[in-house]
Amino acid sequence: MSVFVSSIAFGLVAASVLAIASVGFTLQFAVTNVLNLAFAAVMTASAFVAYWFNERGVSIWIATLAAAATGVVLSVFLNRAVYGPFRRRRTTPIGIVIVALGMTLIIEFGTQAIAGPTNVSYRMSQGRTLALGSFRLTLAELAIILLSVVLMLAVHVLIRFTRLGKAMRATASNENLARNSGIRTERIVTITWVISGALCGIAGAVFGMDAGTFGATSTDLFLVLILAAVFLGGPGEPYGAMLGALVIGLGTEISAAVFVSDYKDVIAFVVLLAMLAVRPTGLLGART
Amino acid sequence: MSYYLTTLLVYGGVDVIACLGLSQQFGIAGVTNFAFIIFQAAGAYAAAVLSLPPDSANGAFQTYVGGWQLPFPLPWLGAAVAGGLLALPFSILVGRRLRGDFAAVGLLVTAVMVNLLVTNYRPFLNGDAGLALVPAPLSNHFDPLSTRYQWGYGAVAVLLALLVYLFLRRVTESPWGRTLRAMREDDVVADSLGKNLRSLRTSALVLGGAIAGLSGGVLVGFISLWDPAAWSFAESIVLFAAVIIGGLGNHTGAALGAIVVPLGFLEATRYIPTNFGRPGLVPALQWVAVGVLIVLFLWFRPQGILPERRRRLAGLAEAATPAPAAVPAVALTGRGGSAAAVATGPRPSARSGEVVLEARGLGRSFDGVRAVDGVDVAFAAGQLTGLIGPNGAGKSTLLAMLAGTLPPTEGSIVYRGRDITRLPAYRRARLGIVRTFQLASEFRRLTVLENLLTAIPGQRGDSFTGALLGRRYWGAQEKAAIARAEATLDRFGLAELADLYAGELSGGQRRLVEIMRALMTDPDVLLLDEPMAGVHPLLAHQIGTLLLQLCADGMTIVMVEHELGIMDEFADPVVVMAEGRVLAEGTMASLRSHAEVVEAYLVG
Amino acid sequence: MSVESRALPRVEGLPLHARGVTAGYGGDPIVRDVSLSVEPGEVVSIVGANGSGKSTLLKSLVGIVRIESGSVHVGDRDVTGWAPEDIARIGVGYVPQVDDVFAPLTVQENLEMGGYLLPSSQVRGRVEFVVGVFPRLGEMLRRRAGKLSGGERKMLAMGRALMLEPSVVVLDEPTANLAPAIAHSVLGEHVVTLARTGASVLIVEQRAKAVLEISDRTYVLAGGEVRMQGAPAELQASDEFVASFLGGTRIAVPDGTAATPGSR
Repeated sequence: MSVFVSSIAFGLVAASVLAIASVGFTLQFAVTNVLNLAFAAVMTASAFVAYWFNERGVSIWIATLAAAATGVVLSVFLNRAVYGPFRRRRTTPIGIVIVALGMTLIIEFGTQAIAGPTNVSYRMSQGRTLALGSFRLTLAELAIILLSVVLMLAVHVLIRFTRLGKAMRATASNENLARNSGIRTERIVTITWVISGALCGIAGAVFGMDAGTFGATSTDLFLVLILAAVFLGGPGEPYGAMLGALVIGLGTEISAAVFVSDYKDVIAFVVLLAMLAVRPTGLLGART
Repeated sequence: MSYYLTTLLVYGGVDVIACLGLSQQFGIAGVTNFAFIIFQAAGAYAAAVLSLPPDSANGAFQTYVGGWQLPFPLPWLGAAVAGGLLALPFSILVGRRLRGDFAAVGLLVTAVMVNLLVTNYRPFLNGDAGLALVPAPLSNHFDPLSTRYQWGYGAVAVLLALLVYLFLRRVTESPWGRTLRAMREDDVVADSLGKNLRSLRTSALVLGGAIAGLSGGVLVGFISLWDPAAWSFAESIVLFAAVIIGGLGNHTGAALGAIVVPLGFLEATRYIPTNFGRPGLVPALQWVAVGVLIVLFLWFRPQGILPERRRRLAGLAEAATPAPAAVPAVALTGRGGSAAAVATGPRPSARSGEVVLEARGLGRSFDGVRAVDGVDVAFAAGQLTGLIGPNGAGKSTLLAMLAGTLPPTEGSIVYRGRDITRLPAYRRARLGIVRTFQLASEFRRLTVLENLLTAIPGQRGDSFTGALLGRRYWGAQEKAAIARAEATLDRFGLAELADLYAGELSGGQRRLVEIMRALMTDPDVLLLDEPMAGVHPLLAHQIGTLLLQLCADGMTIVMVEHELGIMDEFADPVVVMAEGRVLAEGTMASLRSHAEVVEAYLVG
Repeated sequence: MSVESRALPRVEGLPLHARGVTAGYGGDPIVRDVSLSVEPGEVVSIVGANGSGKSTLLKSLVGIVRIESGSVHVGDRDVTGWAPEDIARIGVGYVPQVDDVFAPLTVQENLEMGGYLLPSSQVRGRVEFVVGVFPRLGEMLRRRAGKLSGGERKMLAMGRALMLEPSVVVLDEPTANLAPAIAHSVLGEHVVTLARTGASVLIVEQRAKAVLEISDRTYVLAGGEVRMQGAPAELQASDEFVASFLGGTRIAVPDGTAATPGSR
């Protein structure tokens, strides 16, 4: 039982990291209709940039800002210089996936070429451990959860209550009609990639914090989790991504504690395949 | 030095074989199998566990299933079988109507997960450490470390690659290969022409899988070890890169890509001093380079170095028939005794006026909107029935239900007394009910002649075994088919377009290709969806006349059209639909004076 | 056809002039050399058989379909080749035939999107105005647009376009898929109201008879070209009018004997 309870704590941390990443990923899909498989690679690059600052004495929490900036730069680059041109050329969705995979190789192994093949760790203190029975969290983990909650709230406020957020939802739902309403959709799309790029970068830094040590290819498996969360909630649905992240994050950690820990990510895999087979629009997406 | 060369030969052979397998799946059949690397892995593991002694030997430092110590060539055969068998569950995943990129993601994730499972479950294939000390083939007869053996192995690898290449060429340059390519271009249309998509995809997967498995078997015998790192997801990307860069849809291109990408990289790095930069820099840069190559090629030259070749078939059939002008109209359908006819089997005949196809209480709703609402209509043999009505009347929906491309929500469809409501489109096509589509649906990267040829039913070469038996088996029939197709092209005055890609034609010409293609199926019932749209009036007139001739021969034709002047001249009876229901039926002239019909058009 | 006399706001209507417009989706043009004009306060309709290019013509006027040759002017400005958002910004409101609302957004949010270009202080007032024109919308502000019935959706679509007080309103078959009674009210009340505010109203319709009743002028499109134009009364009196819908060159003689069908 105590194993179960402590796994919930792990699950919440995992869900927090996953939520930041999944919401970013799904926003990109919402406005561009592209599965940006290079997302995890951008997370990695951002994590390493944070590491560079961290190594030089900057607190990892401040260095996260640098990670966010990296995420923004790389994501906007991907959208404007890579996906944009291919989409204008009417490349098929599969073609775009292959391009995304190519970019993944470039970004991930480019990072490895620069940073070296050994795994690295952030210099950070975990802080005290707070315990409530078997429910244990270090201060750092608690901070991650709080950061995630704050970011989710911010996204919620953005898309529900701001003019920009509504324009993003309008563009995602019907681009032509948005343009006919006077919305400069190209600008809105870029802004969306800026925001989701920042989320991506932050997710990279937080991933590094949670993982302890990481290398250039550590996020490969994480991409599967992101995809599972996104497809569970519905591709393009930010609230769906949040829900999906919670389910997948908790689900993988709990199953790791209760069943065998080596295969914890398999749950994500099964969920993803099941959603693709049965309801590709996800739990919160409109039934096609 | 010699060791270096022999390694080159073996790796080259293995890479070529693997890429050829992928080329068959992806380049020819259009199946984007991002889990491809698993098939090679399955083959390698199979060959390993088949040739290894039981795992208790060697001090039991590795655990695995199998261990039967089978002699060469059984492990290699087992490798191919393993790859082929693994394809079967995949064919279930691949068949669903899922967005291309979503399906790709599913396969990609599957590859990552299988790798994870094998890595973590030690008892199966020794987990993370993988299998080592795999005996080399025939190692009890030869010393695997001798130069003679090494050269022999290299030669065998290259020989196998050549054999696989020739085998695939034989199988692809056949009517079956053409059908695969048609499926790649537009699977919905291929389905409507009678092609069984599921069995085609499965055979493409099994064939490619077996070849991939073989490549794994050959490789593991040489390097004598195999672990999960060798088949990480990144390796799949390399193979895709090779096939795309070499030339999609072209086996020679795939072979070239195999040499340029996986092999080329292995070699290019040999010339860089080993302590260039820091350790690990060079492999990382290799990967970056692969990524760059993929993106650059997809942008600047997506067709690859050696693009898919145009198959020029026109004129190959000169020996078969006399001048086309002498061919009577009946030859268009292949019925009757014309030498140009392709034996398709007798079509059931019907007395003119006898009802052949009937819709009974047919209905279809979309999100609560009744697109077709309780329609009763009958189509008789020897008649060209027109179907008209304002926008949203339900004409195309009705046609789609008759053809089987859309299931009805209520009612039934009866063909010659048989209820075919639940019959899928490709089965209806085989029965003789064929449709054309409103939007362009020609097979773009097949030539006009190939477009026509794909539609001809009952071709001997249009099955895997038929293709395997080679030109000697299906050649004569193909020549007759080509002659028949050319005669049809001639009839429509489009003979000079025979070897052009269908995608290069003008709108009106593409329409005609569609109609001719439908005629090639030797249909009993022809369902035409706006065939005259964008067609020059003179040509439209010609087509109309031809359609009437076909009716005279007993065909049943249903034609949806907006161009009401055509209806005047050629269609009788004409059925008017509005708001999902049949409004009236009669000749066009009588309908014009029918008050409700006029209202329907003006009121909308 | 009673329209409640409300104090209707007046807009600065702008004329729309299309001259020699040829447009298509690449390949053969669908619309060929079409010239038309709409003046402020007028309702001008475009009718024609299926496939005559009506929808494509409208889309080319609002920037969705590329214009290959010819020009479009709104007021004094040449908007040929402008992006849809820029055309919207000079006061052209467009109500498409399908995909006419933002389905996942609420009615309120849809209207707010229609008023995207307005300073935020004005949005609320405009929403109230539009709700005044379409009271039903006021009852459904929190409902998701995708859940509305056909008629309600159309009202929302028109309301969205109204938010910007458009000088020109372009409507593509607003009564498609609507029951006849609702269709008549949409045309007779709402479309007419638009013109009464001073806007130039251009409307494409399948329901030729119904739209002719509210039009000041009508163009008949066939095969992508303007076949006839004029006041509705003149058109309806002409033989050619019915013929261009039903094909053939003769129409039936009213006593029931069919004339010989035209054959081309």
